[in-house]
Amino acid sequence: MALAILSVVVFILARATGDPLHLILPMSATPEDYAEARRYLGLDRPYVEQYLSFVGRAVTGDLGMSLRARRPVSELIRQRLPNSLSLAIFAMGVSLAVAFPLGVLAAVKKGTALDRTAQVIAVLGQSLPTFWVAIVLVEFVAGRLQWLPAGGNEGFASYILPGFTLGWFVVAGMMRLLRSAMLEVLDSEYVKLARVKGVGESQVVWVHALKNALIPVITFAGIYFAILVTTAIVVETVFAWPGLGRLAYEGISSRDFPVIQAVVLTTAVIVAVVNLAVDCLYAVIDPRIRYAR
Amino acid sequence: MRRSCRTVLVSLLTLLCAGICAGSAVAQGKPDLTVALSSFSTETLDPVLGGHLVKYYLSMMFDYLVGTTLDGQPSKDGGIATRWENSADYKRWTFYLRKGVKFHNGDDLTSEDVKFSIMRAIGPRSTTGYAGPLRTLIQTIETPAPDRVVIVTKDPTLIIPTYLSRSLSTEGMVLPKKYIEQVGDDGFARKPVGSGPYRFVEQVTGSHIKLTAVDNHWRIGTPKYKTMIFKLVPEETTRLALLRRGDVDITEVSRERVKELEKESFPVHFRREESILTLWWILGPDGWVAPMKDKRVREAMNLAIDRAEVAQSIFAGKADPAAIPLGLSWSFKEIGLKVTPEMYYPYDPVRAKKLLAEAGVGGGFPLEVFAYQLPGLPEGKAMAEAVSGYWEKIGIKVKLVPVDYPAFRKSWVDRKTPGSVGYFNIANRDWIGTYALLEKQAYTPAKANDTVNDPEVDGMIAQVMRQTDKEKINTLMRNIYARIRSEHSGMPLVYLHSAYAAGKKLGKWNPSSVMYDLFLDELASGK
Repeated sequence: MALAILSVVVFILARATGDPLHLILPMSATPEDYAEARRYLGLDRPYVEQYLSFVGRAVTGDLGMSLRARRPVSELIRQRLPNSLSLAIFAMGVSLAVAFPLGVLAAVKKGTALDRTAQVIAVLGQSLPTFWVAIVLVEFVAGRLQWLPAGGNEGFASYILPGFTLGWFVVAGMMRLLRSAMLEVLDSEYVKLARVKGVGESQVVWVHALKNALIPVITFAGIYFAILVTTAIVVETVFAWPGLGRLAYEGISSRDFPVIQAVVLTTAVIVAVVNLAVDCLYAVIDPRIRYAR
Repeated sequence: MRRSCRTVLVSLLTLLCAGICAGSAVAQGKPDLTVALSSFSTETLDPVLGGHLVKYYLSMMFDYLVGTTLDGQPSKDGGIATRWENSADYKRWTFYLRKGVKFHNGDDLTSEDVKFSIMRAIGPRSTTGYAGPLRTLIQTIETPAPDRVVIVTKDPTLIIPTYLSRSLSTEGMVLPKKYIEQVGDDGFARKPVGSGPYRFVEQVTGSHIKLTAVDNHWRIGTPKYKTMIFKLVPEETTRLALLRRGDVDITEVSRERVKELEKESFPVHFRREESILTLWWILGPDGWVAPMKDKRVREAMNLAIDRAEVAQSIFAGKADPAAIPLGLSWSFKEIGLKVTPEMYYPYDPVRAKKLLAEAGVGGGFPLEVFAYQLPGLPEGKAMAEAVSGYWEKIGIKVKLVPVDYPAFRKSWVDRKTPGSVGYFNIANRDWIGTYALLEKQAYTPAKANDTVNDPEVDGMIAQVMRQTDKEKINTLMRNIYARIRSEHSGMPLVYLHSAYAAGKKLGKWNPSSVMYDLFLDELASGK
């Protein structure tokens, strides 16, 4: 139902903001050229007919032809989605690797220099604009120091700068969330009991407390993973990364309706799948969370 | 816990080191020529789906029926046609084709391919720049021999060779008939076959197009570079970082960053006057609307702008003031037009105010100015703000409307906001291209695109279309420009010089003055 409503809304909005032929056809095109192109591309048909045709084809996996590139949109999505997924996985991996120890340690060492450092990192991570971080990294790390590739997807090294830029923001949010969740859990009765029973501090923190502090963090990670996959437009643009975010941007800026519709539908599916995965993880982490039988 | 911390730090450092090692390997020397561009336009590999911008990469994969010189003149050496001639009535154009040319799949290139290509360029699938005029003009195409093709037009015309040449758009690219019939249009667009010095290897949309050299080609001999890669890199900082690392050999560079690169000893090549930045008023359904209907208001708005200051401050001195609306300067020499000093608008706000008062709008009037970026014009919004500032100084109440170009274009052609101002960096071109532009933007019957609305100009443009005497055409073209200038039918701002930075080891290269073509032939030539 949500997908159906979404498809109608996107279908209408995409068409309300401009004519793709103004970009596809050259400035010198005549009204006859416009009419001919409109007829050839099927844009002269009534909106209802265009919509029904789109839905009819979409349910069979045919997302139509890009008006701009004249290629099947499913082919474009197939080319771009793996790039976005792999970058998002890399960025999320980096974020988890940094946020987990820092978040936990900041909670355990509350009020110490380590905690304050973690908070500074969190503030910087959430306040520095992604485009700025990206440009600075490209300019200095890639351009001046020449340590890492500046753009494109040409092997492992090219993941580091865009992955770090994307992950930087997530690290900040995740670390803050983990810290506050850990503080709450560390103050709970069962943790105190574990300590009284002589369980080692390390086990208390990394096993008993962390597991119970994970639920909000996993929710956050799930939401951000979907965002990283589908809307990393700025990072993909700066690092010339051929991903889904840039495909969306190109689609929007050229009023390529089939591409816009397909990207929105793909995004919706990714969000749904990630949410389902997060729900499943809840059940794994906390056995009390189960579907009622 | 300390151990955990150490583990994380060590992991991150290992990751960074691994990346640096891998990254360094990428930066080492290579036998490729890599060109980074900010836009691939439609990113298509099919010439009929392109418009103009796709020429940057397609011109190395395909041959044109008519070649061009570095300064944009039809050439008998650079195209498939080694000579051509017209009938006395200028309605039959016979092209004699180069013998022994083969497509990359081994098929011979014949007159049938030429006919097929032109018919396809003017067919329903085509979105190319000049399909419309050719569609109107061409009556039939004959192929009396494999090396001879005759284009028969409905009316006498001089434009056929230039319209099918490399100096304009993609209509003149010769495509393989048999192959396209065999694999279909979509198959061809995915895996194109041409006859140019480089053949297609792969395309990753949003990333790059890779070509590889043929062994030997009549255009350039044995190509100097084995591989040619066109990379799509929208962000300038990234393009420059790639250049510094040696990952690309040629890249577009904005005018404001030229000095920085020159300081670092990167050669910067200019395509001088690559485009004219011109502003215009959107017409109403019946033409000019008040107060722009009054020629004094149009003149006042022109006089209010300090073009030299705009060229210096907005375009970092890499631009020169322009004098004539829609004045494509690469055509001026051909049509014998000399731009005299008095044709340039002086910066004269006092006289501008006086003219507004005489026109009855001394107290100013509301004006909407659209502000948007364009490919090749990152300064678009800053320029719109600067020009608006000049107009505010003479009392005009300007409202800046930030939009993207498609939204402006819709307002322009739908004529929904008559009197408001828009702009474009129109690519410079030869006289035929200039005529094509005038026919679209200064000719009332062109309707949607018209910006001039002047019956006298319409009459002269219509005469050019039917005229076959080049001297008379030149006179008409000069008169059109004189009229547009004297009626102030637009606001010419500056000629933009576009910069392309090259790697330090790149050889001699002249980026030419051919529209939307970096003319990489010379660079790749092994002759």
